Amino acid sequence: MAEVVEVNSDKYPKVLKEALKKIGASLGPKKLYYKGNWSPDIFRNCLSVVGSRHLTYYGRKATEQLVTEVAAAGVTIVSGFMYGGDEAAHSAAVKCGGKTIAVMPCGIDLIHPASQKKLYEEILDTGGLIISEYEGKTQPQIFTYVQRDRIVAGLSKAVLVTEAALESGSLITASYATKFGKKIFALPGPITSEVSKGTIKLIKEGAYPVTEAKDILDFFKVLPGAQKTLIPAKSKVTANTGDNLEQKIIEQLKREPLKADEMARLFSVPVAKLGTSLSLMQLKGFINLDNGKYYLN
Amino acid sequence: MLIKVPSIVNLGLETIKVDIEINLANKGLPGFEIVGLAGKAVDESKERVRTAIQSSDVDFPAKKITVNMAPADVPKEGSMYDLPIALGILSSVLEFPIPQKSLFLGELSFDGSLRHTKGAFLMALFAKESGYTNLYVPKDSANEAAAIKGVKVFPVEDIGQLCRHFLGQEEIFPIIYKAVKDDKKSIVEFDMKEVLGQEQAKRAMEIAAAGGHNIIMIGSPGSGKTMLARALPGILPPLNDVESLEVTKIYSASGGIPPGGSLITNRQFRAPHHTASLAGLVGGGSKPQPGEISLAHRGVLFLDEFNEFPRTIMEALRQPLEDGYLTISRSRQRITYPADFMLVASANPCPCGYALHPKKSCNCSQNQIQKYQKRISGPILDRIDLHISVMPVDATEFEDNQKNSEFLEASDKIRKRVMQARQKQEARFATETICSNSQMKNSHIKKYCKLAKDVEAILRQASLKFNLSARSYMKMIKVARTIADLDGVDEIAVPHMAEALQYSPKNFETA
Repeated sequence: MAEVVEVNSDKYPKVLKEALKKIGASLGPKKLYYKGNWSPDIFRNCLSVVGSRHLTYYGRKATEQLVTEVAAAGVTIVSGFMYGGDEAAHSAAVKCGGKTIAVMPCGIDLIHPASQKKLYEEILDTGGLIISEYEGKTQPQIFTYVQRDRIVAGLSKAVLVTEAALESGSLITASYATKFGKKIFALPGPITSEVSKGTIKLIKEGAYPVTEAKDILDFFKVLPGAQKTLIPAKSKVTANTGDNLEQKIIEQLKREPLKADEMARLFSVPVAKLGTSLSLMQLKGFINLDNGKYYLN
Repeated sequence: MLIKVPSIVNLGLETIKVDIEINLANKGLPGFEIVGLAGKAVDESKERVRTAIQSSDVDFPAKKITVNMAPADVPKEGSMYDLPIALGILSSVLEFPIPQKSLFLGELSFDGSLRHTKGAFLMALFAKESGYTNLYVPKDSANEAAAIKGVKVFPVEDIGQLCRHFLGQEEIFPIIYKAVKDDKKSIVEFDMKEVLGQEQAKRAMEIAAAGGHNIIMIGSPGSGKTMLARALPGILPPLNDVESLEVTKIYSASGGIPPGGSLITNRQFRAPHHTASLAGLVGGGSKPQPGEISLAHRGVLFLDEFNEFPRTIMEALRQPLEDGYLTISRSRQRITYPADFMLVASANPCPCGYALHPKKSCNCSQNQIQKYQKRISGPILDRIDLHISVMPVDATEFEDNQKNSEFLEASDKIRKRVMQARQKQEARFATETICSNSQMKNSHIKKYCKLAKDVEAILRQASLKFNLSARSYMKMIKVARTIADLDGVDEIAVPHMAEALQYSPKNFETA
């Protein structure tokens, strides 16, 4: 069952209280409803990770890579439980055995979006927290998403924006973080991508461009793997398949993801033959298909 | 005086003989009456017959005329009984006998001339089966009837001419069948050569054409889905003799053969709009007519914006997709129309259309996308063999056309390969009731698609990895069979199966 922490309670996170003072303490949530493991520890080192609902394959891969290392080092990952960027951050944290806090835009007794019920349970099972300022089964509204963002930003010491369009909730979270005086990290992305325009804007405005987990961990002053060694050993593609065309495909995909048609033209191979190689490589786990483009695994 | 003129009635594609009995009685008030379950169009023929006879300078007899159409319990529709009725009256007035072993059909004009009438082809088929040797039909409908060998088809220009023929004053000669070249240009809007890029989609089209597989294209607006579909007829093989007969029958029954037309030899391409009614699409009405799916028999049914079609229509496609025919059941009658078509569907990935677009951003929520994609039901998707995503091409990429010329194959070249693959299938299924790989049932697959160990291993691996259903598993084998046929090989090898996997459903899941 959901429990509640009042604003005057000792349990109320200090970091949030202080952050909210900067925009006027009256704007903060009077009560926080929660499910799961409420301990002072979980709020000690929090990193908010937010990203677009339309996360690209690149965004997902980068989120997994960064969050896995950061969460495994003992940093709590805070996010908004929306599908896309939020969901990628939560599930990466859960998978590596880290702690994560999901701040819901709806009443504490609702799961929104309902399709992520499994993730919801995983967060609770791994000692994470579900928080909401709304009681019972309050339906999410447009404004509750924005209100939720101020808690996401307020709970953490820094915010990482993985991917964001120019007008997006992720940028709202970032602007709260700026007002609270939190550090902002942004993931650089291709300038042609619609969902990298927001992060690039943040970098231009002074956000720290993140290229490795160390960038974030240095800020938190904890060493990688100091507390946990649960990082799953990632097997890199051994780029030697013995097949000439497959080799060419791997070399090309190292540079950028491509459509099958583009590769056929590039290598001057009939698309039938190329398709054969692509299927076989997919089965071997070398490459992956997402939104019509092939990526190196 | 009682006169009998034989004609026919078409119930769907089935033909029954109808005796038009005309009685001219001297007793009673002059009048004109038609009995025998005559429809509105048949009843109205009274006025056409009366005026046509008067226009032919014959006095309409001032007698009590009663026309009976036997058998009296079969509903009769259409304007084809004008000629037999008028002829019966004239034979009484001008005193000539109705010839033996003859059938009559045709609609009259007020001036006595005969108009193109549907069903002449079906009548010729019936005549041949039932031993009638002479057919008297309107001149414009004579050629289609003459496609059936063994019956004499007399092209009649007007009712006066026919009377003079029977009175021995003027002779009408049987028409000699002339195959009219179908105007292929009108069906084929694009050559595959004109479609820039889209190599994989074009290859999928080739496979679909070769094996008669159903195909679905998912892509953003402007990515070329419709263009690809419209280019498809250009790579389809012509109909063989049996198929040609089947298709012509359907078109003759629905009045789809133009005046002076002949056997239909090209595969038909039907593209009904998504506002089409259920009866219009699958056939129906109180007097069941063939729908678009039957008009697309042995050809292509192209459903653009597939998920905009109402659910009821989509689900109605399930049975014909599986069986190749559709039975329309009414309380009065049950009519079966063949509907063995190749389904080509196209759809957007999401409501705004840009979920798969490389540059434009999609602003649909996950919920909206899921709802949109769910409009196409699982059972329908399961019956579609090839799934491809079509991505928009950058026109500037193709300014240097020379460089890419080898990728721009003309339709004719592709068509040759398709025809070779079809020949292989025809030879394979010579003793079966099916004619293409897509029609194979599980028993056929067992018999004709023996998989080598390594090929099966790949398929098993893929079905685990991509979560293929049992039906999808079988579909992959069918597609691989077609790819091997295109390759001219008897054994399905690893490359064939691997390529087939490219077109499995997993490849366009966006969420």
